[in-house]
Amino acid sequence: MEYIAEGFATAIKLLVRGDPETYSAIFTTLRISSLSIMAALVIGIPLGFLLGYYQFPGKRQIHAVVDTLLALPTVVVGLFVYVLISRRGPLGSLGLLFTIPGIGIAQTILILPIVIALTATAVSNLDVRFRRTVLTLGAGKKRTAVTALYESRYGVIAAAVAAYGRAIGEVGVSMMIGGNIKWHTRTITTAIALETGKGQFAMGIALGLVLLLLAFVVNWILQIMKRKI
Amino acid sequence: MNNPILYEIKDLKRRYGESFVLDIPYLKIEWGMSYGIVGPNGSGKSTLLRILAFIDKQDEGTVRFNKDVPSGDSTKTNYDHIKGATVTMLLQDSYLLKRSVFENIAYGLRVRGIRNNIRERVHESLRMVGLDPGTFVHRKWSELSGGEAQRIALAARLVLKPAVLILDEPTASVDRVSAQHIKETIRKVRRKYRTTLIIATHDLIWLHEVSDEIMKMHEGRLMGSAEENFITGAWSPAPDGLWSTRLSDGQCIVALRPTGEQHIALLDSTNIIITTERPDHMSAQNILSGRLMHMYTFEHSERVRLDVQVSDLSLICSITRKAAHMLDLLPGMNVWVVFKASSLRWQ
Repeated sequence: MEYIAEGFATAIKLLVRGDPETYSAIFTTLRISSLSIMAALVIGIPLGFLLGYYQFPGKRQIHAVVDTLLALPTVVVGLFVYVLISRRGPLGSLGLLFTIPGIGIAQTILILPIVIALTATAVSNLDVRFRRTVLTLGAGKKRTAVTALYESRYGVIAAAVAAYGRAIGEVGVSMMIGGNIKWHTRTITTAIALETGKGQFAMGIALGLVLLLLAFVVNWILQIMKRKI
Repeated sequence: MNNPILYEIKDLKRRYGESFVLDIPYLKIEWGMSYGIVGPNGSGKSTLLRILAFIDKQDEGTVRFNKDVPSGDSTKTNYDHIKGATVTMLLQDSYLLKRSVFENIAYGLRVRGIRNNIRERVHESLRMVGLDPGTFVHRKWSELSGGEAQRIALAARLVLKPAVLILDEPTASVDRVSAQHIKETIRKVRRKYRTTLIIATHDLIWLHEVSDEIMKMHEGRLMGSAEENFITGAWSPAPDGLWSTRLSDGQCIVALRPTGEQHIALLDSTNIIITTERPDHMSAQNILSGRLMHMYTFEHSERVRLDVQVSDLSLICSITRKAAHMLDLLPGMNVWVVFKASSLRWQ
């Protein structure tokens, strides 16, 4: 059990001393997860809103597909994107394999269903009186739609939190697309996998704690945002 | 009543599925008046109010608003025709947007592109509903009681200085104090903006105090006034050319034979005589035993309203204050309800 305590001590040391390798993994993780969450929110919120707000043929089927994609295994996404962006793949010429944008794209695909599904659920679960209320106050169709999205903001924030959690904590995509290249594409999770493989449990625990701390800070910021809006 | 016509409804029909929930051949609503609508649940009150508020549309017929174009054959929602006119509706069990009280009240102004004096107008409307702006303006929607929420929702309509204010069961989910505040507020609004009021409620006493005219709805139709009783039931031929229906305790009501297919008998509340002793020497064919449930008096009225339960039938009776005094009536007493067969008219 000593290595657990040792892990805590190592984590503090790494952070306080500004260990360059640790900080490289932290910044890489932050860059990738920020990139993917921004892309997923920009694409996913409008799609989730359309799915939750409007009635159209095939809506239930699309909802079922999106809900199924919530359980998408990271390695499957990794494999799919790898095939696309590898030298022989259709997007091979873009040179995205083993790069941060490459991991970002794969992570976006991974978390996009979360943003779409949870946004759609938040919008479709709006109080049944909402639409009539804003109509009585004179809102037209466009205004009603915009207000509906704003009324669903807590659900959308929850979607963002869940999606960010999945992005920051996933390892399959980062490993397959990024290749775990030191100083370049090594993230906290791939570093933990590597350290565990080497039997360096203390270092692994230290990085795990850093990851948790990072997730906590992000969630804390979102909680503050939630109270303000 | 010679006010300009605000709404003119002709051959209005609204159906859900196969059955009509609203069937109004003609209805006229005048500027500046206050109308009450009463009727049982499912009688079509809310549907009519939503059509008048232009948030729902009829299947057939026309609704002319302020000499506007007929909207019956429109493919658009009715609201598109009256943009700019301030018709607003307070829904039963109001919904507040998930934002501050200020933003809830200002919403309708922002929708209309009004940018000036928003703060003053929000504060003024809060004062009109009897709430202190300093205390309430920054509160969140989740920090309000049911009565406060309903009054904030009302303030959100009043800030628009509405030409027409439609209220659907405004007192259904509030306590007595809030109901009193709402009553005072809508009286103020009427005086201040000459707002036309259309109010549906089960609270007839409350409604009497704020309405010029009360209409009664039954099965999607407007029938008579609030002073009339509906007697439905299995009417069947009786001796001497009369028709009768039997109440669940065995007492019978008799009426003259209907002239057509009508099956609802209307009885004006002023055509009912109340006695405390069984009358043996009266020619009226309907002498029914009942229990006096409630008694009400109204401002500026010489009459007393009595709610009398006769078997499973609740009857409204209207007698003079003097008669009520002479009979020494008290709620809970057993009374006799007397009316002629010819007092019942068929609908």
